[in-house]
Amino acid sequence: MHLIYVAIETGFMIGAVYGLMASGLTFIFGVTRVVNAAQGAVAVLGAYVSYALGQHFGIDPFVSLIVVIPIAFVLGAFVNLIFVRRIAGIGMNVLVRAVLVTLAVAIILQGVLEMVFGNDLVTINASYVTATFALRHDYIAYIYLFGFLLSAALVGLLYLFLYRTRLGRVVRIARRNRPAARLAGVDLGRIDTIVFGIGFAFAAAGGMVYGSINPFNPISSYDLITRLLAIAIIGGLGSVSGAIIAAIVLLVIESVTAIYAPVGATAVFYVALALTLVIRPGGVVDWNRVRMRLPLGAR
Amino acid sequence: MVLTLRGVVAGYGGSDVLRGVDLDVAERSITCIVGPNGAGKSTVLRTISGLLHPRIGEILFEGKRLNGSNCRQVLAAGIVQVPQERSLFPEMTVLENVRLGAFTVRDQALVQRRLDAVCEMFPIVRERAGERAGSLSGGQQKLVEFARAQMLDPKLVLLDEPSMGLDPKMLRLVFDTVRMMCDAGKTVLLVEQNARSGLRMADTGVVMESGRVRLEGPAGEILENPEIGTLYLGGALAAS
Repeated sequence: MHLIYVAIETGFMIGAVYGLMASGLTFIFGVTRVVNAAQGAVAVLGAYVSYALGQHFGIDPFVSLIVVIPIAFVLGAFVNLIFVRRIAGIGMNVLVRAVLVTLAVAIILQGVLEMVFGNDLVTINASYVTATFALRHDYIAYIYLFGFLLSAALVGLLYLFLYRTRLGRVVRIARRNRPAARLAGVDLGRIDTIVFGIGFAFAAAGGMVYGSINPFNPISSYDLITRLLAIAIIGGLGSVSGAIIAAIVLLVIESVTAIYAPVGATAVFYVALALTLVIRPGGVVDWNRVRMRLPLGAR
Repeated sequence: MVLTLRGVVAGYGGSDVLRGVDLDVAERSITCIVGPNGAGKSTVLRTISGLLHPRIGEILFEGKRLNGSNCRQVLAAGIVQVPQERSLFPEMTVLENVRLGAFTVRDQALVQRRLDAVCEMFPIVRERAGERAGSLSGGQQKLVEFARAQMLDPKLVLLDEPSMGLDPKMLRLVFDTVRMMCDAGKTVLLVEQNARSGLRMADTGVVMESGRVRLEGPAGEILENPEIGTLYLGGALAAS
């Protein structure tokens, strides 16, 4: 029973970190309608930048976020400006092409990371990665708590941005109805660039924590993107709150399952994904259903 | 003519919907475009408003070329569009939605003056100012959309099927409002599936088919033309 409590607690905290990374992906989709297939690669990039700063300059992983987050934001803005916007237009072909473009970005990032760091597994080191604190009768590594607090802080900042700033309101308008936003004079190109930046920043920040808990190499991005996509779909594409709920629930179930069936634990994601697609394809927070429930005018 | 289209070709995803549209819109008039589904009526409006760019052809507004302009530039030129789909943001209040119409205006004093004028023209804005836009009926939402469109004091208003989904009473109110906008000095170009109602209200009628203008002339003549009614609109228009 004690092990189950530990699994729930750590699953909850690390779930928040996955939720952070997945919320960046779903946030990008919600506003721009582009599935960012590079989200996993950006997370690994964030891990490697933290790793390199720690190895070469002795910088603490959380302090390294001062560098990691702006780099990722700029990279996200660059990807939107140089790659995604060049295929701007309307119609499903454009959306499919946008996914292929972000997949190409993922492949490029992975290739560059392989060239620079090689394929050996590495981990980010810090005293709090192994140091533990007592939670009731259990001992939990500090990194899980710090990761949870980081995720809570960044998602909290996102909500403040969206609901307390003028620019955030414009982002919400664009998320709700892109053509209407364009007709009102909203510069969707600028909005999309900012959104990509935020999404990439979330991935990189979460990636730093991921790299502190798991050994990683450039190929880790493939496992990450499949998990993040599963979380985003289960949570409801476009819903940040859905992604966080889904991530926490999935990681808790995975952690508990691992006690009894370590090999089968990773199947939790894929079973949940299959069930979601059959029972509730729109996800936990179905954005389309939310629109339909609203009175006339919701569409 | 305040708006002129010459040989406009435009479409989606490499496929042309407009195949050489020639169209003239007179100042301070109501021009109504009618035609069967797929004729390209809404595409004409999207091409003017900047949602689509013409591949070939010319769009002139007050003598200035509008080709390739984005939506912000078209707004700055004095053209606003009320789209076919509901475009209010349901979580926002009626007042917030109307203010959004002046999104590109930095002068807040000017915005307030416009808002006051719009409230005079559209009493529903003041009456329901604090309510969520999503709580309004379809016709009321359409009126609020019209109100929002006036916040930039446009010269040309593009209306895409304003009567869609409305009951007869609300339809009459919407069309009366369109006439009111024209009487206030605006030029209105609308697309209407309800051809009879649209042409009865309009000064000029335009019949489109397969991406081209088939007929353009006084709305009353088009309304009474039995051949047009049979060919394009399922029966004599005037007989109702």
